[in-house]
Amino acid sequence: MTAAERLWDPGSAFDHPVTLWTTVVLIGLLLVAPIVTLALARIGIVGPETRADVLVRCKGWAILAPAILGPILLGSFWVIGATCVLALLCHNELSRATGLFRERLVSLVVVLAIFATALSAADHWYSFFTAIWPVSCAVVAAVAILPDRPQGYVQRTALGVLALSLLVGGLGHFAYIANDALFRPILLWLLVGVQLNDVFAYVTGRAFGRRKLCPATSPNKTLGGAIGALILTTCVSAYVGHHVFEGTGMDTPAALLGAGVLISLSGQLGDLVLSSVKRDLDIKDMGTTLPGHGGLLDRFDSLLIAAPLVFHYVGYLRPGFGLDQPMRILTAP
Amino acid sequence: MEPWEYRPAQDLGLSRAERLRSVRREVGLAGWLLSRLAWALIRAYLRLRHRLRIEGRENLPEATPFVMIANHASHFDAITLCAALPAQQRVSAFPIAAGDTFFETDAAATFATIVMNALPLWRRRCGAHALDALRTRLVEDACVFVLFPEGTRARDGRLGTFKAGIGRLVAGTSIAVVPCYIDGAHTAWPPDRRFPGPGRLRVSIGRPLSFEQTENRRAGWESIATELRQAVEACARRT
Repeated sequence: MTAAERLWDPGSAFDHPVTLWTTVVLIGLLLVAPIVTLALARIGIVGPETRADVLVRCKGWAILAPAILGPILLGSFWVIGATCVLALLCHNELSRATGLFRERLVSLVVVLAIFATALSAADHWYSFFTAIWPVSCAVVAAVAILPDRPQGYVQRTALGVLALSLLVGGLGHFAYIANDALFRPILLWLLVGVQLNDVFAYVTGRAFGRRKLCPATSPNKTLGGAIGALILTTCVSAYVGHHVFEGTGMDTPAALLGAGVLISLSGQLGDLVLSSVKRDLDIKDMGTTLPGHGGLLDRFDSLLIAAPLVFHYVGYLRPGFGLDQPMRILTAP
Repeated sequence: MEPWEYRPAQDLGLSRAERLRSVRREVGLAGWLLSRLAWALIRAYLRLRHRLRIEGRENLPEATPFVMIANHASHFDAITLCAALPAQQRVSAFPIAAGDTFFETDAAATFATIVMNALPLWRRRCGAHALDALRTRLVEDACVFVLFPEGTRARDGRLGTFKAGIGRLVAGTSIAVVPCYIDGAHTAWPPDRRFPGPGRLRVSIGRPLSFEQTENRRAGWESIATELRQAVEACARRT
């Protein structure tokens, strides 16, 4: 696969069976889920509250699924571009919610770091990519001096570093996976893993959830939901992962199950990170970017912790991402 | 160490259309950059085409909040007054614009907020509630309001009567009010013309007044309006 093909040629989109089947199943689920829910509600198995809840979720996914699936099928350029836009919108939400937006210099450093991350990912320049997070953290600590206002220095620096960690560190690693020849199945494996994790936690929590997981942070999460999601997500991720990573160092039962556990745990932790932020700020949703569904951060929270952890886990065992692809395609000396 | 204090955006949770029309609107980095760009262009235009001259800049208070008022005879007035402010204060300067003219459609509201940084006041609903919301914003965020107590552009270009609402905004507070007079705006862009023509613009800035001792009742509001009108007339005589 040449760099140009990988970047913007959708012709090879369905070459890998995992991409094909994930797309088919996703489209199928989007069509079937509301119909099944309506049918179950009609014969009285599902109550009106659950029915409304599920329908609202389906409506959200009808917008989100094409927005996520589209760039992945089109090519890695679109994945990196879309992730950059997502990170900028998430930064807008996070900074407005925490008040960081009033600190324009710190905010500007975060925005520039997001652009730099997208550039390094598009370029496939890994050493530049790894330099962005530590350098921009140091720059945040430096520019936070400039207003000559020691009051609140630690707060604005810490908020800047938090934004960098979640958006440059978290979403950045998601974008960098797009440099792999198998970026479509790998990204879908990760995305489907963290999103199914949410669904599994919701469903098993409703069925078996009694003990609250951490009621002060997130009152609706139960231990039953967390364990149910851990078991189911690990199984599904390991099964799909086997087809994605066939013939590599990742393709052993222990490595695949480990990846599944990592996806499930880090997905749930990402969710709780956002819940903690919202509780601390005493707000309900991070924003109104998605009408009726809260902010984008509320939707993509489970990816924030999972992306860097899974990236380095797979990178260590497989090993690497895009090592057979041309590097520094824009800036090659 | 002081405890951390989070101040989420005051307009958090509002939809886009609601945010545009909220007097609690706050812009982020992109909005700030856009507005800086718009102001660079506006200032260049006013300087080059209208030879804008500003007298009495030393009368502007160094500390915010304060209110700038002037005669109103043209769409030039708000941008002319804002152009007289130093860059630091201009960022937090909000012209109070008629909601029924500038905020009816989303397109108009977007223009008014990005280019003018305007906050809306609906002329048919400018009672205690609306003015209280504006006063809260003015004091809490220590910003600058630019407003025209006549309430509308004078069709003949002459100074009309001042409405009592300006008194209601500042009576019993230490908020400074800076009287100004804008000369030439009516000739360059009178209310009956769609687009501006040529003509020089001059702004005269008077000494700030404050009305801490004035009672916050109708009689007080009206006396403030009268006093401010005289102050604007005094600025006019100086130009």
